[in-house]
Formats: sequence, structure tokens, C-alpha cells
Amino acid sequence: MTASTIETAGHGEAHGAEEPSYLAAKKGLMSWIFTVDHKRIGVMYLASIGLFFLIGGLLALGVRTMLLNPEGVNIFGADNPAQYKDWYNQVFTLHGAIMVFLVIVPSIPASLGNFLLPLQLGAKDVAFPKLNLASFHIYFVGSLFMIYAILSHSLDTGWTFYTPYSTTTSTSVIAATFGAFILGFSSIFTGLNFIVTVHKMRAPGLTWDRLPLLIWGLYATSVIQVLATPVVAITLLLLILERTIGIGIFDPTLGGDPVLYQHFFWFYSHPVVYVMILPAFGVISDMITAHSRKAIFGYKAIAASSVAIAFIGFLVWGHHMFVSGQSPIAATVFSFLTFAVAVPTAIKVFSWVATLYGGSIKFTAPMWYVYAFLFLFTIGGLTGIYLGALSVDVHLHDTYFVVAHFHYVMMGGTFFAFIGAIHHWWPKMFGKMYNETLAKVACFLSFTGFNLTFFSQFIMGAQGMPRRYATYAAEFQAYHVASTIGSYILAAGLFTSLFVMIHSLLKGEKAPQNPWNAVSLEWETTSPPIEHNFHGTPVVTHGPYDFPEIDESQATGHH
Amino acid sequence: MADAHHDELGAHISPLQTYFAVFGALLVFTVLTYAVSLADLGPFAFPIAMVVAFCKAFLVATFFMHLKYDERFNVVVFVSSLFFVSVFAFFTIIDVTGRGALRPEEGYYVFQEELDAIAAMEAAAAAEEATAAGEEEAEADDDDH
Amino acid sequence: MGHAADHAHSGHSPFFQHHFIDMRQQASSAKLGMWLFLAQEVLFFSVLFMAYFIFRTLYPETWLVAHYKLDAALGGLNTVVLLFSSLTMALAVRAAQVNAKKQQVIMLAVTIACAFVFLVVKYFEYMSKIGKGLLPGNLYSYSGDIPGAPELFFTVYFCMTGLHGIHVVAGIIVLFWLLIRAGKGHFNSGYYSPMENVGLYWHLVDLVWIFLFPLLYLVK
Repeated sequence: MTASTIETAGHGEAHGAEEPSYLAAKKGLMSWIFTVDHKRIGVMYLASIGLFFLIGGLLALGVRTMLLNPEGVNIFGADNPAQYKDWYNQVFTLHGAIMVFLVIVPSIPASLGNFLLPLQLGAKDVAFPKLNLASFHIYFVGSLFMIYAILSHSLDTGWTFYTPYSTTTSTSVIAATFGAFILGFSSIFTGLNFIVTVHKMRAPGLTWDRLPLLIWGLYATSVIQVLATPVVAITLLLLILERTIGIGIFDPTLGGDPVLYQHFFWFYSHPVVYVMILPAFGVISDMITAHSRKAIFGYKAIAASSVAIAFIGFLVWGHHMFVSGQSPIAATVFSFLTFAVAVPTAIKVFSWVATLYGGSIKFTAPMWYVYAFLFLFTIGGLTGIYLGALSVDVHLHDTYFVVAHFHYVMMGGTFFAFIGAIHHWWPKMFGKMYNETLAKVACFLSFTGFNLTFFSQFIMGAQGMPRRYATYAAEFQAYHVASTIGSYILAAGLFTSLFVMIHSLLKGEKAPQNPWNAVSLEWETTSPPIEHNFHGTPVVTHGPYDFPEIDESQATGHH
Repeated sequence: MADAHHDELGAHISPLQTYFAVFGALLVFTVLTYAVSLADLGPFAFPIAMVVAFCKAFLVATFFMHLKYDERFNVVVFVSSLFFVSVFAFFTIIDVTGRGALRPEEGYYVFQEELDAIAAMEAAAAAEEATAAGEEEAEADDDDH
Repeated sequence: MGHAADHAHSGHSPFFQHHFIDMRQQASSAKLGMWLFLAQEVLFFSVLFMAYFIFRTLYPETWLVAHYKLDAALGGLNTVVLLFSSLTMALAVRAAQVNAKKQQVIMLAVTIACAFVFLVVKYFEYMSKIGKGLLPGNLYSYSGDIPGAPELFFTVYFCMTGLHGIHVVAGIIVLFWLLIRAGKGHFNSGYYSPMENVGLYWHLVDLVWIFLFPLLYLVK
């Protein structure tokens, strides 16, 4: 049984002739800078995100190295302890700001999402290709503001920019927050583009219940991007006004309320963590099915849970503010609702494990990353429940327990899924295979290094080690040393991944059209795809995970 | 595809009368808004003003923005934005109103019980000083004699 | 779907974009895109509405006294002007739907004129506030007595009307672009998405003001 039929409806393209791939279709730097091809835009995002991840990662190594010794390690040559602590504040702030705004939020949606969404939908491009290019240019401009902030007076407020410190410190808060403001619009426009594309440009036969789960994940993500980002945009503008003319809404001496800033900030910043993870959930669903050659368990549950997580995610932001002076009533309600978000999340994890059962599992590099994700994200997610419990959070807030939690979900979750997904779709994007062995070595190093880095942080956090501290009590040194050694191993793993990718581009063997024999639409076209994605309009007659062997083996044949 | 009531894309064309009628209604509601503010309606003034504003908004959205004749999903998009604004407002106001009395001159929030306790302590301290001062004066008077 | 039917739907307008199947899909997509943009605009303004409600709740006496410093008559005038501009904008879109090119141009011109009137009135209002020192936050220097936190009332006033005003200015720029295109005869019954979607944006600008007016000028 064939997977899907490519009809030759359309504008009469010469499908006999060998059409060049999107990479070769047009040449020259200008053809990339002014491209409206979603695939090229995705690749440009991928490169940019990779670059900022490198910068943010080096800053992280800086933080970890400075923490080797309870008195600090003066790697930047500060003149005195006070200056050292100032510089420490800057290093972790920049690490956080770059990672959140320039890396993790755009990560999967802007790079892989842009590349894959139209392909998986059977469309020629996104709904608004020029807006897509604008999103990329806006991202670039926003990043320039961030870079300017780093190079001018730096930033030491923490990536959260809490008032009153952010309104009074002499660092480049305005440049950085204005940069974040601009980056927000890149995010909003991408989300807007994706929602319209999914609604209006699905190929014939591609009903909502046949969409790959990556699309559902990107869709839920886009809804959050469109609705939540404007709130932080205006909040940062208000922060800038507070810093410049002193408008007073966050200033108690004028009658304002600094905690109001936190409400405004976290109304976005909590949903944004679901922007970070939902696409990761999506790629995991696509990868786990392809590499275990089995239809997903509980398709409807997983699709619905993405939407549920997006919705509930808007209701829980106050759990970041349990100890900020928030009223006990609000705190209790937020704590209760925070437990609710664990339910749809757990449904996903159970469904993935159930998918593996009875599957024909191949231990490819992407599958290694899937397993790593399942382990790391589960730990991260469960520790989130600890922190959601109001009475427990009172003790754990602002300790390393929180730092470990969010690194387990954001890095162990999103970033491991991201790297796995890059490997999974690498042949599609670049037409090359990569060195499987080295890729697995990289995964092993990263996984080991990651756990050593961050599990020790759970322990010391629970014992009271505060976060954002440049110096600390001697009793925590062993944990910090373990964590730092872990970070170096993690870095080695990540650099190995980078080597694998570059080596593949230069010397990788040519990839077949469909190396994993998957059945979603992106695999129905060439690797790499032609500029207009498909020859003619694809028609979809089955679900995204309906592998032919399953159809043949199920004599009763019900789906 | 086009006819008297639909354009070439099949979209509905509202008759001119509809637009003028809606504009007229909007003017009436605007006058009503002003009248409500002048009349003394006590605690009902604010809710009524908001209801009037919502009526005007409903007319603009339904007829000028064509939502009455548009795809259902566009309505969902708009309404859901309003829904999430309400969520934002609801929880934030629960927090801000649930915290207690504000003392802007001292720049922080305290609970009413604390305010009362502080007031009681200050009153007690003042009373003590008064008695102590009274005793001293009495002693001084005694010394003078 | 045969070739002939394809051309009938997609071949006509020079503004057809070929990643779509036909003009209907294009128009419908553009409209959904604009509604999503409006949804984010609602959330964008919502923060200021939040600040308004919170500080009004905390300082009711300030709101009661300070709002009299605003000119309700001018605010009312601006309300009527914007409502009228919404009418003319809707009529401009309708004119495109019925292939009336001259009507489109006239209605757009009137809409732009109304927008300018709005800004001029705003200018006079702002000048009057600045002259009396009724300014936001640390800039507040009014000599009269307003209880509570008047600095915050004027912060809210200037932020809300200022952000709204910026949206009016942006609207004027886009309306001028539309006017030029309408004058060139780009829009007709088979293609008027830009007109329709700018219209949606303009109606949202009007909607925001519908709430701003009673909340700021007619506090009771």
C-alpha cells in the first residue's frame, strides 16, 4: 500500500526535470538575506540559535568555573571582592537572558518548526512568507540590542529584571529590555504565521486528526506566543519608562507596587516555558514513532493535552511569586492550579512509554536523545510539582533546587529533544547523513555531564544553597565541584554534537529521501526538498504514524 | 459568485442602512455614557458605564468588523483574547486586594491587624509618656516648694 | 479540480500570491492573520487596563478628584470623531466590495482626516496638562491638592492615551498607503483584503477608545 498519492494538479511543473534543492535553487548571500523560503529561514534561525547557544553556554561554563571555590575563582581578573560579585551577577544574568530570549524560546519553532510545518502540512510555504522573513530580521535586530547591552554596561539584574533593582541599577537594562521587546514581536509573528498556516493550508485529506503531533505542539505553542508575548512587551516598555522618567507604577514611594511588575512579567514568562517545551513534546512524538516503527499510543490524548497545557499554563504564573509578598489567597489558588498542569503532561509521558511497548525499536542517535529526554524531563517535571507545593516552595524558592528543576526541563527536556530532532531531520534538511557513532558518543557525554551538573544542584538546593550567589558556605563546595566537572563533560558532549554536524555538512554521505521510512508528508519529497516543497499537491489518505506493516499485520484492521 | 449581497469572494456585503443605523446607535450610547456619569447612581455607576461600553464594543465588532457574517473561528480568536485578559485581571486583583492596607507614606504594605496593633502600641506609649511627664512635673513642683 | 477552474479562481487578480490555492484562501488567511494580530493587541493594551483597575482600586479618592482635570467635552468630541471614522472606514471597505473606486478614496480620505482631528484634539489636551504640571510619576508638579497618588493617575492617563495615540499615528500611515493603492484602483470586489484588514485594525483602535473614554474621563 502506498503511503500517499502525489497528484500532478497545480501549475504544470516539469516534474520530469531534475529540480534543484532549496539549498541550490538560488545562489549568493542576498538570496539568503531576502529569501521568503521557509526552509532557508529555518536554516538561518538554526545557525543563529546555535551561535547564541555557544555564547550562552560559554557564559555558563564561566559561572560554573567561578563557583569552584567558596570564595570564588577570579577568572575575569576583578580588582576586589565587590567587583567580583558584580561581574558574577553579570555573567549569570547574560547567560540567562541569552539562553531564554535568543535560544530556547525560538529554538524548535523558529528553526525546525519553520522548516517542517509547511512540509508536514503539504503546503508550499507558510501563510505569510514575507512576514516570516520579517520575523527573522526582527530577531536579528533584537539580538543586536542584546549584544549592545553586553558590550556596553552589561546586565546584572537576573534575566527576570525584577524591580526595584532593575529600575535603579546602572547597567544596560534599557538596551536589553528593548531588545527583548523587539524579540517578542519576532515570536508573535512566527506564532501568528503558524496558526494561519495550520488552519488554512493543510493538504487535501489532511484532517485535524491526521496531523503529525509536532504540528499540534507547534499550534499550541503559537497560541501562547500570540496571547502571552504582548504582555511582557508592554511590561518591559513600562520598565523602561520607569527607569527613564519614573512613571511610578512599580515604585512604592510614588504609590506603586513592585510586585505588580512580577505579575505582569510572569503572566508571560510562565506560559513561555510551555512555548519552550510543547514543540519538544511534538518532536518526541514524531521521533519515538518513527524509531520504534509504531503508531503513537493515544493520539487524541496527546493532541488534546498540548492544548490543555497551553490553556492551564496561563492560570498558574503566581507560583513564581509565592514568597514575594503575594496574598495568601492568590498563592493558594495558584498552587492548586499548578498541580493541574501536571496531569496532561503525565498523560504524554505515559503515552510515549506505551508507544514503545511492542514496537520495533531502533537504537539510532535520535532515539538515544528520546530516551534521554524521557528520563531527564520526567525528573524535571516531577520536581516542578515539589516547587508547586506552596509550603515546600517557601523553603526551596531561590535555591539551587529551582535552578536544577528548570535546567532539567529546559535543557534536559527541550534542548535534548532539539538536538535529537536535529539529527532526525538532518538528512531531510541537508541531504546528508551524519556519523552515527560519534552522535551517540556525544549523547552519552551530554547525558552524563548533564546529570552530574544538575543532580548535585538538587541536593545542595534542598540543603539550602541559595541561587545567584557568587560566594557560598564551605559545606557546599563538594557539590559545586561535582556540578562544575559535570558541566565540562556536558560541554564536551555538546561540542562533539557540533563537530558531528559540521563534519556531516562537509563530508557526510548523501542521505536517502527517507532514511527512517517514516510516513508523514515531509518524507514524501526529496531530501533536501525542492524550493516549492512538493511536485504538485500531495493528497493525504492516512494518519502520520500509520506504518504499512501495522496495517498489514492487523487482520481485524481497525484504527 | 457575486450578487447583491455578496462580493466576488462570497463575503457578505452589508447594506448602507445597517452601517448608518449602527453609527446612530453608537451615538446614542455615547450620549447615554455621558448621562450615566452625570446622574448619581452610586455604586451602580461604574458597572452601568461598563455595560454601555460593552454594548458599543459589541456593535462595532459585530457590524463594523463584520463578525456577524464572518467565519466562526475569527470570533473565537477575538473572544479568547478577552477571556485571557479576564484571567489576568481576576488573579491579579485577587492578589492586590487580598494583601491588606497600604501605607504609601512608609512605602510598604501591612495587614489591618498590624496597623491596629501598631496604633495600640503607640497609644500606650504616648499614655505612658504622659503619666511619666506628669509624675516628673509633680516631682519638680515638689522640689520647687 | 481542472485547470480551467484553477485559472478562474487564481488567475484574475495581479495580487494573487502563488503559495495559496485561490483568492478565497488568500483572503480568508489574511483575515485570520489580522484577527490574531488584533488578539495580541488586546493583550498588549490589557496590561495598562490592569494598571488602571489596580490603582483605581487602591486609590479611589485620587481617581474621583483627578479625573476632573481631564476635559470630558474634548474626550467626548474625540469619541464621536473616532466612531465616525469607524463608520467611514467600514463604508470604504464596502465601496471596495461593490467596485466603487471613487467612494473608496473619499471614505479613506475622511477617515484619515478624522484621525488627524483626533490627534489635534489630543495635542491640545496634552499641552494643557503639561502646562499645569499634571504629568506622570516623577514629572508630576501640579500645585493644587489631589489626594492619594495623583502621579499614578496621570501615569495611567498618559500611558493609555499615549499608547492609543501611537496606534492612531501608525493607523494614519497605513491608511495613507491604502489611499494611494485605492486611488490606483487596486481594490475591487475580488480583492480587498488590505482594505478589510486595515479596517479591522482601525476598528480596534476605536474599540480601545470606547473603553478609555468612560474609564478615564467619566470616572464616577
